[in-house]
Amino acid sequence: MKGILRLYPSAWRRRYGAELADLLEEMPATPGTTLDLLSGAVTLHIRAFLDRVAPRMVPAGGPPMPTHPLQRHPTATALIAALITAPTAIFVTLSFLAYQLELPGMQAWLQPFMDGLAKAPRIVDLFLLGAPFLAFLVAALPLIGLRAERVEGELRITLALQARTLNLIVLAVCVLVGGFLASHILVEFLFERP
Amino acid sequence: MLLDVASFAGVRLGPGTLYGALSRLEDDGLVEALPLEGRRRPYRLTDAGLAALRGRLSGLNAAVSIGLARVGNR
Repeated sequence: MKGILRLYPSAWRRRYGAELADLLEEMPATPGTTLDLLSGAVTLHIRAFLDRVAPRMVPAGGPPMPTHPLQRHPTATALIAALITAPTAIFVTLSFLAYQLELPGMQAWLQPFMDGLAKAPRIVDLFLLGAPFLAFLVAALPLIGLRAERVEGELRITLALQARTLNLIVLAVCVLVGGFLASHILVEFLFERP
Repeated sequence: MLLDVASFAGVRLGPGTLYGALSRLEDDGLVEALPLEGRRRPYRLTDAGLAALRGRLSGLNAAVSIGLARVGNR
């Protein structure tokens, strides 16, 4: 029966796994217990997912944020976001240096890469374009707490924000890179179309 | 804890249900874990947990009182 514990979310297992395993040693292995454990694993995965999508806030008097897995790891999330947007950021920076500032030798150095990119599948373009927006969401998610609850018949929606330096830096980079890319595409679309 | 719940509520909680609820309560700051006593980990209500439990029991108590009064009038 202890094998079922492997199906539980790893963060949860690290905290409660040993206690639950001890408890299971004292209980007979019945189909009901097995089903209950399986159902518990599914419930916890769903809870973890929902907490990521719509983070819960703790009630007054409880501990402050962080409350859900992503909010517990804002640094890791910021690094993942940085990794997602890195190819686009590098591409935009090099393009800016070569074609806007026209640094000597840069255009010739970059041209083979640009030619390769022009021949690359459409998905590469889409990734480069979408990465800053995706990374923005990933970096912003741990900073936002949204909770909807019904209090005495009224729907109450609570929004909480927290500031994390690394996440904010990544957000700023995403805005800069995404903004540059979007304005570049817009200018090309409006003025440089044949 | 399982035996305690079974004795006063007549419900046999499964281990997955118990620990799912316990982790939720701890995440919400309503219970807190105490140091291990041998292989057992005791938990206790926090102040916020006590207030939440009082509020919930008062609500249930009001519902039971009103329900009993209405049933008694028939």
